[in-house]
Amino acid sequence: MNTDLELLIEYLPFIIPLVLLQFGLAIFSVIHVIRHPHYRFGNQVMWLLIVLFIQFIGPLIYFIAGRGDEDGRVHS
Amino acid sequence: MSAWLGFFKKEWTESIKSYKLLLTILIFSVLGILNPFTAKITPAIMENFMPEGTVLNLPEPTALDSWLQFYKNFPQMGLFIFILLFSTMMSKELEKGTLVILLTKGLRRSTVITAKFATGFSYWTLAFMLTFIITYSYTEFYWDQTIVQHVFLAAGCVYVFGLLLFTITLWGNTYFASAYGGLLVTVIAVITLFIIAIFPETASWNPLQLLTSPPQMLTGEVALKEMRTPCIVAISALFVFLLATILHFNKKRL
Repeated sequence: MNTDLELLIEYLPFIIPLVLLQFGLAIFSVIHVIRHPHYRFGNQVMWLLIVLFIQFIGPLIYFIAGRGDEDGRVHS
Repeated sequence: MSAWLGFFKKEWTESIKSYKLLLTILIFSVLGILNPFTAKITPAIMENFMPEGTVLNLPEPTALDSWLQFYKNFPQMGLFIFILLFSTMMSKELEKGTLVILLTKGLRRSTVITAKFATGFSYWTLAFMLTFIITYSYTEFYWDQTIVQHVFLAAGCVYVFGLLLFTITLWGNTYFASAYGGLLVTVIAVITLFIIAIFPETASWNPLQLLTSPPQMLTGEVALKEMRTPCIVAISALFVFLLATILHFNKKRL
């Protein structure tokens, strides 16, 4: 256990920014998914799962392909 | 000139509103952190996953490992994500017909292309600088960087190649007026370069060298002057594609 903790502290300069960026992006995307309930395809539950559980790539796919237009029109 | 600046500003506003700036900054900072992280943690992971009693002689990671990760991740993940983000620049406007109003109001057609190119150019510079500076700082912090040579010039090669690919995407995007057209043209261009690279004698000019040689440049196996011709070829190809895009768009029916 002791060695694990030392290992963790050694990698802390990497882990802190990575975790911050990852959670920041995930939370931002979740808020966006909930507040703009119009998607080009799929439904809210699907996009929430994608955004939360696929790290980095999930939000990327959502913002490139899944996000509907601002005025709420759904494109086919 | 003011029309150009206006359109350039419109491009930026659009990219910010469609979260491209946010995604670029986040993803490329993460890529920058991941490079030295992977280099540093790989020996520790290997030790943990090996069965008990296996004696492993893993050398300590060095600055070179960190940079090797950079040249593995950045051209693959980074370039791919960048092209994906900016592959719809032209096709979106052509599909929706939003350019027609601007063009009938007297906006020059070349302005559209050059402003879009300039936007992509600045985004690529931003993405590249982010990843490079973050990887550089971490590497500088953890390891001794004197063992690697030409750090900046080797990275510059990847930068030039990325610009070339972006210009090819822009051309394909304009020519076929669809997002898939741009991506397809880029993929075909890369595959063609790889096929050309099968013949070893083409290595003296093939722009793909800009992507595959930098790791050897770091160790000093590839001399700097060997990269001059591929670099010139890449930059001239870039201008040819940019010119072709402008010429094609001038005649394009909207």
